[in-house]
Formats: sequence, structure tokens, C-alpha cells
Amino acid sequence: MTEQEIVDITNKVFEESFEIEKEKLKPGAHIFTDLGLDSLDIVDLVAALQKSFGINIRNEEEVRNIRTIQDIYSLIIKLNKKRK
Amino acid sequence: MEKYDDIVVGSGISGMTMALILGMNGRKVLLLEKNPRIGGAVARFYKKGIPFDTGFHFTGGLQKGGILYELLTALGIRDLIQPAFLSGDHAICCIFETENRQYKIPYGIGNVKKKLKEYFTGEASAIDGYFDKVEHVCAQTPSMNLRTLTTRHQSLEEDFISLDEMLGRLTRNPLLKAVLSGFATCYGVKPEEISFADHSRICLGFFESIAHVKGGGGAFVKAFETKFRDFDINIRCNDFIVDLAGIHDKKVGSFILSSGEEISSDNCIFTIHPREILSILPEKHLSRAFINRVNLFESSIGFFSVFAVLESGFEEPDFDDTIFSILPGCDLNQLLDPAYTGTPALLLIKSVEQVGGENRKTIVALEPSFPEHVKAWKDSQTGMRPQEYQDYKKTRVDAVLKRIFRLFPEYKNSLRVLDSASVLTFRDYLNNYDGSAYGIKQKLNQFNVIGQLPLRNLYAAGQSSLLPGLLGAMLSSFIVAGSILDEDTYNKFLLKNLC
Repeated sequence: MTEQEIVDITNKVFEESFEIEKEKLKPGAHIFTDLGLDSLDIVDLVAALQKSFGINIRNEEEVRNIRTIQDIYSLIIKLNKKRK
Repeated sequence: MEKYDDIVVGSGISGMTMALILGMNGRKVLLLEKNPRIGGAVARFYKKGIPFDTGFHFTGGLQKGGILYELLTALGIRDLIQPAFLSGDHAICCIFETENRQYKIPYGIGNVKKKLKEYFTGEASAIDGYFDKVEHVCAQTPSMNLRTLTTRHQSLEEDFISLDEMLGRLTRNPLLKAVLSGFATCYGVKPEEISFADHSRICLGFFESIAHVKGGGGAFVKAFETKFRDFDINIRCNDFIVDLAGIHDKKVGSFILSSGEEISSDNCIFTIHPREILSILPEKHLSRAFINRVNLFESSIGFFSVFAVLESGFEEPDFDDTIFSILPGCDLNQLLDPAYTGTPALLLIKSVEQVGGENRKTIVALEPSFPEHVKAWKDSQTGMRPQEYQDYKKTRVDAVLKRIFRLFPEYKNSLRVLDSASVLTFRDYLNNYDGSAYGIKQKLNQFNVIGQLPLRNLYAAGQSSLLPGLLGAMLSSFIVAGSILDEDTYNKFLLKNLC
């Protein structure tokens, strides 16, 4: 999976699972303040990412530190490399 | 409009636990139940005057200091629940029909290890390794120890490894693997699908002790009812929430009941199946991600059950001190697969019940079954099902009896079947979502719905939230109630009651 594919799939999760407009999905966008999610949505987000990427996102520390969309891209890229 | 602090939806063991904890902490609680009476799957039913348990047959953790003992102590009902411990030497008799092997399993972790090492010579390190890991997981799960005063339920490394994988690392012996994963029928998930951590959390209690409860599940219902009166907890049966009103800032203002009444409450805690919770929440307040997450949950196993009694005067010493787990093979993954059509696993639970001053010996036989097995009749209702369904039930009852008589030929002329129940019977009788016995299937890497819901004054608890079975359902209510009450109040409540 290329990094661009990871970006595209992640953005699709936000568009389809949280109905967030494409224009808002910039790497620096803060998922709480800019996209309107709250801490309890994180479980739904992680479950949706797991399903879309077919990977297990299990490092709770890293999940807890997610703030921006870029943080998610970086986490998935790292997990994807590990999988390889 | 009537006003409550908390509405608890569903009066199974989780809902009763939740209502009591909140009520004991001075809150005004309404317990809502769709059925005509409370208790859910722990309530008993009577056939020809003989009591039978619907969903609660035996439990672990009732020994002094055990997890269930502690939960009951905290609720102030321990004295009302009288355990009848099974034989310490052979509480479980595990019979492998194809392999023609029989293992009598004691309880007490030291005793279990010793016995298994006698049965499986050369596997001592696998056996020690397994129990070390089970104990490690439970010691590292602070929410399993009420005295740690924490409601945290954080993940461990073992939460991401399946039971199957862990057993594969420890041993190659298929019979030992089957014995060590035999309690899978007590939570309804294949060894390849459940995490080793959850398997350990559920099974530790069974390894420590196994007991019936005098009066069965009915004793729990009576104990809770007594306490509900002490704490003025209101109970309303034959009623349920049909709509939510006054939703602002992700919070619900009031609740419309099926009776038409509107009730205001600060919180509402659902202890019902997550899909049923989903059907109550208005879609416009939910993310697609939440809906998808709930819709992806699968069903755990249900049971085809046969309820029978031996004729009065049938003599058998120590009748009820052993539970028989009969397995037609040692591949639990296959036996717990909905697509499997061979001979099912069979659990025989014998119990002595007081009926009009006389001891009656009852047998409940449980075969794993799935909604898929009865889907041809899923739109039918109790009492109005077609002949093919009656034939299906008769065939299964006959097959169960045949296996019972093979094991206990002396019962042949004395055992009377009083009732039988399919997954559909359980679904309709208990008003549960799909007739499964343990709610959703608790799978590896799955995110259950527990605690606050997308509408933030609504909460989820129950066996689908945390861990299956009586213990998991009760524990989930302690954890969620702890998050509703402030930490100080919850801790003081526990300390006061556990002293």
C-alpha cells in the first residue's frame, strides 16, 4: 500500500463514516476542533480504520496521542511497514 | 412528568446490578423491563411444579474472596446467595466421545494443574505455562479486583493473541488443547476468535471453584428484589422505551415509553443487546462509523436445551456434584461454528430441587446452537410455529436423550422430558435480540460498546459490553456505574461494603 493510498483510504473513512466534507480533510486538520469529533468518537474511528485497512490498531498510547489527520496517516504508515 | 436520576433498561443480572448500585448510592432509579417479570435469563421457570433455570446453571468465583463473592458482598446480597459447591475432585467430567477419553477435572488451580499433569504426562510445562498466563492476565486486569477501586479495563498483550494461538505455542496435544479451551461453551466463542486475555478473565473463576446456587438464578432475582425494596427502586415491567425526546448538545431530555408516558431522567443505562440499543437511538445523532461498528457484531452461541426430571424416589448419591461436558471431537473451533452440522457438544447439568418438601433430580441438557439453525422459522412466534419446527425439536430431543442414556443407562426408564427450547424459544421468551446465550460474540480486536453512547447521557452495559456470562454482565455494571457516580462516591461505596 502506498502512502497516497493510505491518505485516500483514511480520508474516505472520515467522509463516509463521519460525513465530513472533503475540503476539511487537510493533514493539519485537528480531529476534535476542526472536524468536530470528540474523545468518544475515537473508538468508532479506530474500529473503522481497522476495518478499512485490515490491520489491528492496538498501541493505545499512540491512539491516545492522535490529534490531527496527519497523526493518523503516520500511524497507519508505520503499522503498514510493520506488517510488511 | 415523572423525574428520575437514572433509568436502567433491561432487568437481567446486569440491569439488576446497575439499578442496585445506583439506588444504594442515593439515586432515584427506574428499572424498565419489557417482559412481565424481572430477571431476564437468570429468572427460573416452572414445568409441572418443577423449577428449571433458563440461563444460569453454575458459576465460578463464589468461594470466599472470589470475584463473584466480592461483587455480591459489595451489593450487600452475599448472605442471600447460598452456593452449593460441586465436587472439589471432579466438578467437571470432560468426555471425548470419538477419542473415547474421559477427564475428571477438579477446581482450585493447584488441584487442576496436578490432575492435568497426571492425565497428560510430559505436558507439565505447557500446563504450568497456561495457568501462569491465566493468572497473570487476571492479576493485570485491575477492574477484576474491586478492592483496587478502579474502573479501568485496559488492554494487555494477551488481548491481541487468540486462545488458539496461545495454546498452539504451549502444546501440540489436541486433547490437552481441548480440555484447556473446554470452557469455550461457557462463553460461546471459538478459540481462534477469542483473545487469550478474555478467555482467562472468564475462566479464572471456574478454575477456582464451581458451584450451583441454592434456588438457582431465582435466588439472585429474589435477593435483588429484597434490596430494591430497601432502596426504593421503582420497577416497571411490560414497558420499554420507544422514543427519545428533547435532545440538545448530544444529551437526551426525556424518554417516551411504550405505555405512552414521558419520563425525564438525567441518565439512561441500556443493558440490552447493542443492536436493540441502536434501534432506539435516532440515526441523525449517530455517525456511520458507530452504526457500522454495532452492525458488524456477530452472535455468540445459543443453546438447544432439554429440561428433564427423574421420577420421584430415584436414588443416586452425589447426583449433582459433577457437570458433564461431552465433546464429539476435540476441535472446538469446529464445534462452535454455525456451519457445523455434525453431532454437537453437549453439556449436562444435574441439579437437586426442593419441590413440596421432596428432593427432585433434574437434568438440563444444553447443545450449542445458532440463530442460523432455526432461521427457516425466524418469523414465527411461540405457540404458532409450523410442524417442521416441532419435528426439528423432537429430532434434537431424541438425539440428546440417546446420548444421555448411553452415558447413564440407569435413567432410561426414569427420565421424563418436561420441556425443550430452541434458540427461537429463548429469543421470544426472554425478549432477547437473537436467542444467543452470551450476547454478541466477543472477538479478538473488536471494540465492544461500553459506557457512554453517542448521546452522552446514555450508557451501555451488560454481557455484550465487557465479558459474557453472569460475572461479565455484573462486572460491566460496576464499571459503568462507577463512571456515572463520581469517583469518590463510588470508592466510598465499595470500601464501606467490602469491609
